[in-house]
Amino acid sequence: MSDFLNISDLTLAYGRTVAVEKMNLAIAKGELVALLGPSGCGKTTTMRAIAGLLTPVAGSITIDGRDVTRLAPAKREVGLMFQSYALFPHLTLYDNVAFGLRLRRDPDLDAKVRAGLETVGLAKFATRMPADLSGGQQQRVALARSLVMQPKVLLLDEPLSNLDARLRLEMRVELQRVQQETGVTMVFVTHDQSEAMGLADRIVLMRGGAIEQIATPEEIYSAPRTTFAADFLGFETILPIEGENRSMAWRPSAVVLGEGPHEGTVRGVAFAGERREYVVESAIGMVKVDMPASDTVYRIGQPVRFDLPKDRAVIVENS
Amino acid sequence: MFENRAVGLALTLPAALFAAALFILPVGILLSEAFQGENGFSVQAYIDFFSSGRNQTVFWRTLKLAAFVAGVSAVIGYAAAFCIVSLPPTSRGRMFGLVTLPLMISPVARTYAWLVILGRTGFVNAILVDIGIMDTPARILFTETAVFIGLLQLFLPLMIISLVSAMENMPRDAIPAARILGANWFQVFTRVILPLTREGLVIGGTLVFTGSMTAYITPAILGGSKVLMLETLLYQRVTVANDFVAASVIAMILIVMAFSANLLLKRIATARKTRA
Repeated sequence: MSDFLNISDLTLAYGRTVAVEKMNLAIAKGELVALLGPSGCGKTTTMRAIAGLLTPVAGSITIDGRDVTRLAPAKREVGLMFQSYALFPHLTLYDNVAFGLRLRRDPDLDAKVRAGLETVGLAKFATRMPADLSGGQQQRVALARSLVMQPKVLLLDEPLSNLDARLRLEMRVELQRVQQETGVTMVFVTHDQSEAMGLADRIVLMRGGAIEQIATPEEIYSAPRTTFAADFLGFETILPIEGENRSMAWRPSAVVLGEGPHEGTVRGVAFAGERREYVVESAIGMVKVDMPASDTVYRIGQPVRFDLPKDRAVIVENS
Repeated sequence: MFENRAVGLALTLPAALFAAALFILPVGILLSEAFQGENGFSVQAYIDFFSSGRNQTVFWRTLKLAAFVAGVSAVIGYAAAFCIVSLPPTSRGRMFGLVTLPLMISPVARTYAWLVILGRTGFVNAILVDIGIMDTPARILFTETAVFIGLLQLFLPLMIISLVSAMENMPRDAIPAARILGANWFQVFTRVILPLTREGLVIGGTLVFTGSMTAYITPAILGGSKVLMLETLLYQRVTVANDFVAASVIAMILIVMAFSANLLLKRIATARKTRA
């Protein structure tokens, strides 16, 4: 059951540039998985390969027990919501959502299209053109267009990154609701660790065309495996442990400002509501510190002592 | 833009005068020539022109070749444009450069090159005879085929350029989105690429059609007097027969056909739009 979508020994390349090498990943039915990583890590390439837009150099992809490695995108029962939404600008919303059903000569076309637009709250705009809508609305049309096809796997490319904070929250709720209601397996690509944490059941952290770590948001937040994972997940201060191939990593909130063995100078301070964020220059480099806003306020240029408590550090492998 | 509209109008005056005096006026005089009858206005010159079997042949040949060149360049143009826009940016620029390169070479030189290629002892005949398709060299020069090839080569870049810029303006990912939604390549073309590039197709089609219709050098060199087109006929009427009335009729026909072609293509494009 844990291999509804199965990727095995997948190698992908653009021309001679290898983008993903020997990747293995098994995703369960109904799971919501994030492919997380910096640009160039191979996450988008992997998603394109699952959709069938890129033919693998080696390895295989199976969906629901069926080998789709060499199948055309149309035959894979996969949906993809593009980062650019990729709506057809010459078609109304209705015709955009009906596009795939029409090609398939679906007998319940009208009912499905209307239900699809209803689901994303855009039924009254059925005859509008995409250019008449806001970005957030366009994205919901793109979501409806994928969902009416009832795909086995729904792929989403950076689904939240083009939205402002309020719409981002709306879309996140929308996607979680869709997943609850349809039980569709979702794989989404993001470079933003907070998006991945907020939405995914499981996070696949990628780096340089390979998987660095697979874990639940809770696991990866509290126990990143490597220095790369720690750095990517917001452990801003990482110090190598002498004589070992490991390091200690602290989040800004784990560093204590005001007392301790280290000396530094405040170089930056930002008020962030309940917290105040500092950048402190010291012999061990720039250290980010996050203190309750109600604590003593330090000013830029002010010398300050700070502590990196061992019991609040995580131990990670050097990568 | 100008606070005083008169200033703006005054600035366009020199160009307007120039166009009026040196272009619109002479063309008007030339065109009106064919409407002069014994008792004022008359379309007799047009009736005379079209009652000649040879003129009819030339008219239909011009229409047919121009339409054919436009049609074939659209087919080749779409394939070429699709390949070019699929390339990474650097090679795309290079390929685009290669397409525009022929436009920088004189049409006379380009057309003379076809004499060498298509001639009796030319490259094409040499191959056809060598591999045994033909026993003796075929006559390709001074046929409609030669004129067709010459015109296609001459105007294809204009079609490719129009289509490339139309395709570059398509939304990114529209094609992969259609493919994932179940479209095969034919459906991707008819339902997404064609409707989204129809303006480029209208521009390219009009340029190629009117260009082919009004080209002089290519039909003159590759068709000669055996394959007359309206333009070569016009030249012949003026220089050989000193017949300015027929020349005026032909000029009018060319102008009307160019405008009709543009209107027709626009009509076809918008019909597709409302249906989709």
